[in-house]
Amino acid sequence: MMQDTKDSMCQDHSLTVAAQMRTRSRDRKGAVAGLAGEFACSTFMGTPHSALSLAVCVVFALAMPLCAADSLTEQGISAFQHGHYVEACRLLDGAVSRDPKDEHARAFLALARAGAGHCADAIPELAKRFEDSADPDLARLSGLTLVQCLVARGEMDQAVPVTTQLAAKYPDDADVLYQTARLHMKAFNDVTRRMFERTPASYRVNQLSAEIFETQDRFAEAAAEYRKAIEKNPQALDLHFRLGRAILLESHSPEALVRARGEFEAELALNADDAAAEYQIGQILTAAAKPAEALPHYEKALALSPDFVEAALAVGKMRVQSRRFPEAIELLEHVVALDGRNEAAHYNLMIAYRNSGQMDKARSEQQEYEKLQRTPEGEFTDFLKKLGEKPPAK
Amino acid sequence: MLVRVHLWLKMTPSRVFALVLLVAVVLWAAVAGAPDFHDIAKQAGLTAFFPNGGEKSKEYIIETTGSGVAFIDYDNDGYLDIFVLSGDGGTNRMYHNDHNGHFTDVTEQLGLTSSGWAEGVCAGDYDNDGYTDLFVTYWGQNRLYRNVNGKRFEDVTAKAHLTQDRTRYNTGCAFLDYDGDGHLDLFVANYLKFDFATTPKAGSNPYCYYRGMAVNCGPRGLPFETNLLYHNKGDGTFEDVSERSGIAKATGHYSLAVLAQDVNDDGRPDIYVVGDQTPAMLFINQGDGTFTEEAVMRGVAFDENGRELSGMGLASADYDGDGRLDIFRSDFSDERSLLYRSTGDGQFDDVTTAAGLGNNTRFVNWGCAFLDFENSGWKGLVVVNGHVFPEVDRQNIDIHSRDHALLYRNTGKGTFEDISAQAGPAFQLRHSARGLAIGDIDNDGTLEILANNQNEPPSLWKQSHRAAGHWLLLKLVGSRSNRSAIGARVAVTAGGRTQIDEVRSGGSYLSQNDLRLHFGLGAATRADSITVRWPSGQKTAIADIAADRIVTIQEQP
Repeated sequence: MMQDTKDSMCQDHSLTVAAQMRTRSRDRKGAVAGLAGEFACSTFMGTPHSALSLAVCVVFALAMPLCAADSLTEQGISAFQHGHYVEACRLLDGAVSRDPKDEHARAFLALARAGAGHCADAIPELAKRFEDSADPDLARLSGLTLVQCLVARGEMDQAVPVTTQLAAKYPDDADVLYQTARLHMKAFNDVTRRMFERTPASYRVNQLSAEIFETQDRFAEAAAEYRKAIEKNPQALDLHFRLGRAILLESHSPEALVRARGEFEAELALNADDAAAEYQIGQILTAAAKPAEALPHYEKALALSPDFVEAALAVGKMRVQSRRFPEAIELLEHVVALDGRNEAAHYNLMIAYRNSGQMDKARSEQQEYEKLQRTPEGEFTDFLKKLGEKPPAK
Repeated sequence: MLVRVHLWLKMTPSRVFALVLLVAVVLWAAVAGAPDFHDIAKQAGLTAFFPNGGEKSKEYIIETTGSGVAFIDYDNDGYLDIFVLSGDGGTNRMYHNDHNGHFTDVTEQLGLTSSGWAEGVCAGDYDNDGYTDLFVTYWGQNRLYRNVNGKRFEDVTAKAHLTQDRTRYNTGCAFLDYDGDGHLDLFVANYLKFDFATTPKAGSNPYCYYRGMAVNCGPRGLPFETNLLYHNKGDGTFEDVSERSGIAKATGHYSLAVLAQDVNDDGRPDIYVVGDQTPAMLFINQGDGTFTEEAVMRGVAFDENGRELSGMGLASADYDGDGRLDIFRSDFSDERSLLYRSTGDGQFDDVTTAAGLGNNTRFVNWGCAFLDFENSGWKGLVVVNGHVFPEVDRQNIDIHSRDHALLYRNTGKGTFEDISAQAGPAFQLRHSARGLAIGDIDNDGTLEILANNQNEPPSLWKQSHRAAGHWLLLKLVGSRSNRSAIGARVAVTAGGRTQIDEVRSGGSYLSQNDLRLHFGLGAATRADSITVRWPSGQKTAIADIAADRIVTIQEQP
């Protein structure tokens, strides 16, 4: 079972940038625009976004002017666009020899080399274009290709700063975020593989397996792995806590509440100062309609960790329910100060103000709450439209 | 004796009396035992199959939402008849109560044969002729059926100016007299804009997935729709006043169930609407033909975390005996169905977890009703379930496409106890249920439960023994007010307690309960008083009423 997970997470991310960058454009500016569109397309192919991506591709294709290749550079770009990377390299090499200052020829030569699998030759020019190019689109594409080349060569340490720069320059760029995610996933996969190879009997292998299962909503399997980890290292912190949480996520039954509570109590036996475990026991008692028993656990969690937003909110809500409004308001105002974007805190503060007759303050909180309710992107259809777009020109 | 006891207990005499009463009720409840519900649908003749979309998978959201049921006495013979709605491929059916535990399908002879995607039903005598009429909502054209002397139903939709100018996804409905003119107006909830041609296919965007499975799309990602209010002009026709009344101003909702009742005790009916994945709405009647939407500040838009849930069904009762009507709403799996306790003046607190209703989160809840199944004087709660995605069965988890219903006993102490496992075989049966209604089909004072099951015959659940407590069933007849007395507020005092309720059209999930009001009286053999506040504002008071019977109360002309 674990091997499946490893395999799926350790797929070799082959170099695909060059293939992604083939465009139908025949002029330089159009080519760059096309590259961006093609990149976006490839990013979402084979996903639920495929239909949208296809639409984006069509728009880009229609937008690209058709021009005859009338120079060695343009012939090289054209060859690159058609996926003839070796031919593109030959033509663009010639163009650079004739005019070493031809920025586009140099850039596309690097891209073509990357496409042909010659990353070692491409990397210096890609790095230069990423740093120096006056054309933001070309800089962006050079950066993205550079990351892929570095990852393909296993030069992770060098890839990380490039993605950091890309993320700083293009913070809302889906392709940049995607490449960053892939980079971190690759790093995660490499370390995981190493861990499984070198310390297969370690309880950490079971712990990590369990955490991976959790991300896949396979909570029963996660719980089984946590139990193995606990058997190997009964004194390790966090294992009982995570097992308790997996049990809660696996089942809706009242019996699961009892079993999970046992795990949180076991965690507290190892670490009596674990505020999160105290909070979870409070949650279980709340679900079991035992608010009087839940309150001391929430209060202890809050005492252990005064900035624990969820615990403070839980105590605040219970004070509202027991109609201790001044105390509830004081605490909920603290929660709002800690986490101004916490909808539950604003909502409960609104109710507390309302129930204590402070209607102006209640209305003000309602407004704050309603601001948070509005999604910045609006409806998801609008969000989908944005996914395929280039970031605005810098 | 009482003096000595109260001195000994250091309590006031009234507290000692209350304690004695509580002990009596507890002892009585212990003797009464658990309810024992059986499904009698088959022997009652409810054997027809009601199609509603796919069984193993559902391609479109339209297959997930149908349909409702109704208990109505259409021929005024004093016995409840049964009306069951159908999805596409079947017909709605009316079953006449034969007074012997059997029902006869009279659909054809009443002129109720139909086709299409029927969603909800509500009842009321819109023309004040003494016979209860029916309104049926559809994806497509709604239908107003005028009851002609209990002999047949006439489709008067067009004649009543209720034909819609486009295909709408109408869901819950309720008759109410919002302007107090004695004529029942009509509220119709609308879910979303849907058509087969343009709605995305399963898996075509992130809103078409559930637990990693491609499933039918929506409601998120599909266009919102607004709700409708029709004013009854008193001449057999209705006028769309959705804009003028302010109802259409509330946008951005996927509305399903409707509860029309007076939430702020000002004598005027308000309208509460829950929606799927969107905040609920509470339209407060301003008394001038307009409504303002105030759900957030009144505490009924969200759960206790300010989170919008997927509201499916609605029920109301004074569960804690404080003289205020509280609200229960049924919600989706991995959500809590919520209990909102009225704190007075139309404001509510979410008391779900404190009331012991926070645990059953694996079900998609639909039809729901408060009912006093033991005649103890405390209303319990019934909820039917069924998932919208039959595909969930492939996941091998504890969420199922067909599941059993839930029965909660009201402890009388502000909490509920899940007794589903001890409530008889009916509560072990698994269905993909939607609409639910309650009523007393044999007038014995013990309530029955009717549910619409997708792609199955309906359920009709009856206890094998009569509920132990005493009871009253009140039939109200308006004269200045609308004839159905919809909106009348009733208070029954018996055994030292006063219970309240209101005559309602619609409710539950797209369904209609018995319009008569049922009160369990526990050990009390008489009610000290019954008071009625009619929609007209008139009041009626009756004293010293013997229990265990049906009482008809007529409004003075």
